[in-house]
Amino acid sequence: MPKVIIPPPYRGPTQGTTEVDVDGGSVIECLEAVDHKFPGFLPLVVDQDGAVQRFAKLFLNGDQLDSDAALRTPVSSKDEVEVLAAIAGG
Amino acid sequence: MSGPTGDKLIYVDMTDQSIDVRDFPDEWKLLGGRGLSAKILLKECDPSCDPLGPDNVLVMAPGVLAGTAAPTSGRISIGGKSPLTGGIKEANTGGQPGQHLMKLGYRGIIVKGQPADAEKRYALEVNGDGVKIVAADDHKGKWNYALCEDLHGQYPATASFITCGPAGEARLTGASVATTDQDNRYPARHAARGGLGAVMGSKGLKYVAVDPGKTSARQPSDRKAFGALCKDYTKGYLEGPQMFKTGTSSIVPIANMLHTFPYKNRVDGQSPDAATLDGARIVESFETRGGTMHNCMTGCIVKCSNIVNDAQGEYKTSALEFETLTLLGANCAVASWEDVADMDRLCDEVGLDTIETGAAIAILMDAGQMEWGDADEMRKLIAEIPEGTERGNAVGNGAVAAGKFTGHHRVPEAKGQAIPAWDPRPLKATGVSYCTSPMGADHTAGLIVNPGLAPEQYAWESQKVQIVNTVCDSSGFCQFLQPSLDDIRAFYGALYGEEVSRETIHDQGWQVLEDEWEFNRQAGFTAADDKMADCLGQDAVGAEGAKVVFDVPAEIIQAVFKRMPAQEELFTAKASG
Repeated sequence: MPKVIIPPPYRGPTQGTTEVDVDGGSVIECLEAVDHKFPGFLPLVVDQDGAVQRFAKLFLNGDQLDSDAALRTPVSSKDEVEVLAAIAGG
Repeated sequence: MSGPTGDKLIYVDMTDQSIDVRDFPDEWKLLGGRGLSAKILLKECDPSCDPLGPDNVLVMAPGVLAGTAAPTSGRISIGGKSPLTGGIKEANTGGQPGQHLMKLGYRGIIVKGQPADAEKRYALEVNGDGVKIVAADDHKGKWNYALCEDLHGQYPATASFITCGPAGEARLTGASVATTDQDNRYPARHAARGGLGAVMGSKGLKYVAVDPGKTSARQPSDRKAFGALCKDYTKGYLEGPQMFKTGTSSIVPIANMLHTFPYKNRVDGQSPDAATLDGARIVESFETRGGTMHNCMTGCIVKCSNIVNDAQGEYKTSALEFETLTLLGANCAVASWEDVADMDRLCDEVGLDTIETGAAIAILMDAGQMEWGDADEMRKLIAEIPEGTERGNAVGNGAVAAGKFTGHHRVPEAKGQAIPAWDPRPLKATGVSYCTSPMGADHTAGLIVNPGLAPEQYAWESQKVQIVNTVCDSSGFCQFLQPSLDDIRAFYGALYGEEVSRETIHDQGWQVLEDEWEFNRQAGFTAADDKMADCLGQDAVGAEGAKVVFDVPAEIIQAVFKRMPAQEELFTAKASG
């Protein structure tokens, strides 16, 4: 099963869970599967228009995905989808 | 080869305006910035002193790597006993003076004493010929931008400045110390927290001018290794996601979603005006107004600072940060980023911490003494602070003073310092940092944006981040570069040509915290002070059905003070502020 790695700022909805094994054939399907298990997760990554939030970055097996096409990227069973969140004070 | 040698410390006694330049102790070579400030303060400042009296000591200490070719490494720490908290304080800022002092071989400026005549103003001039004190009465009372415009004409174009605005001269405990940007012109960077501007003002020191002339960068012991390290680290950063390339203000939406974008003196964790306060609006304005992103100091690869122009395309302020948009914006129910930009400029002009000032004004509003969202009145209020009005003094002295002035019960603070944007209710481990940091409520001391942590994880997470951030703030690296302890010790090793072990760097971080806690103990702090304001334990924020208060038990908070065994993640965790 593909694995989704949850960034620390988004672990409120996941109740501290750091990684989630999911069923999904694309990045968006994987993220939706996490949201199904932990409601409230998806809006932190994808906006109301279905685009990646600008403060989130997506990686597939360590490679950053182009934000426009990222969500449609195919995912296989051994893949790791990592979400990064841009968070800082200042 | 042993790396940079022959460094000096500048001792200034303002009582008789004398200067003593001393050799920098070799055993302190890995101490800079916050760590150096703590060491000097514990050794040379009576913790029980009046922070605005002659016995307080003001320290200006660049980080260890400042002045070298290491990327984003020229930050400077301003330290002293805080007139706001009554404890030790280090406020860290960018700009050029840190780079310039280190290029000249000065590891720090230590200012003691006080002039007999409180009306006199002085300046410290540092350049390749040495150090001297000159009269600066002509600059008395000047706002920071006017002062720096004048200094720009008075000194060579290569000089940078550390300045005290009129709020500091008035000894207001929310006053900041300003430094000039990478073009040496605008006093837009601020060591803002803890009222250290008031300490500078109490010493009659209006500004420090640092002119490195054509001095070159500090040379490491192993130039080849150091150069390769700089190149690889820069390449890695630039090929990465570059999370801060549109500035900290761009995180407003996510902070709002996480209920850590406080509204109306923190009665809510979300603002209905998040869209109009979003830093994305600032970036959009670049197209028509000509603002841009830039680096606040030479050699910075993060470039998180925005230059904000007005509608006519003229420079207004820099940088308009997330914390400022939160405290002077959402927390006061101000909806427009342009209004906040005006107030940011005013605070930089007067020399005030935007966090403390925004928190104080919100208390006046919550107490019914101002209308929520009245930006015009806020501008008027900040501008009147140098005039010494009763209301201006209350706000200029920070949140606790504003609470006393109004008699209002809701004063969100820890150790006398206003809570920053990052809210300790959804982010409880960050709250533990606010309660235990020697700095009081300061997100740069130990920010942990992880609302999913279990209570038993709070103490370790807080201790870990406090150690990493302490070492980062001693190194000269900016927290937004997000260096780890392993990164920092690699740079130290190449700089001085000797390995710096994990144990050594862990010891250093812990020792700095120990020095600071010891200073606070001698200043009279006890475990009873390691707590959050009552209102944050009573007034909940969060989504319906999931509202939270700050309810971390004292035993978890106290666990931070006991050194825990190092885990692998201590050395790979990134600085977070």
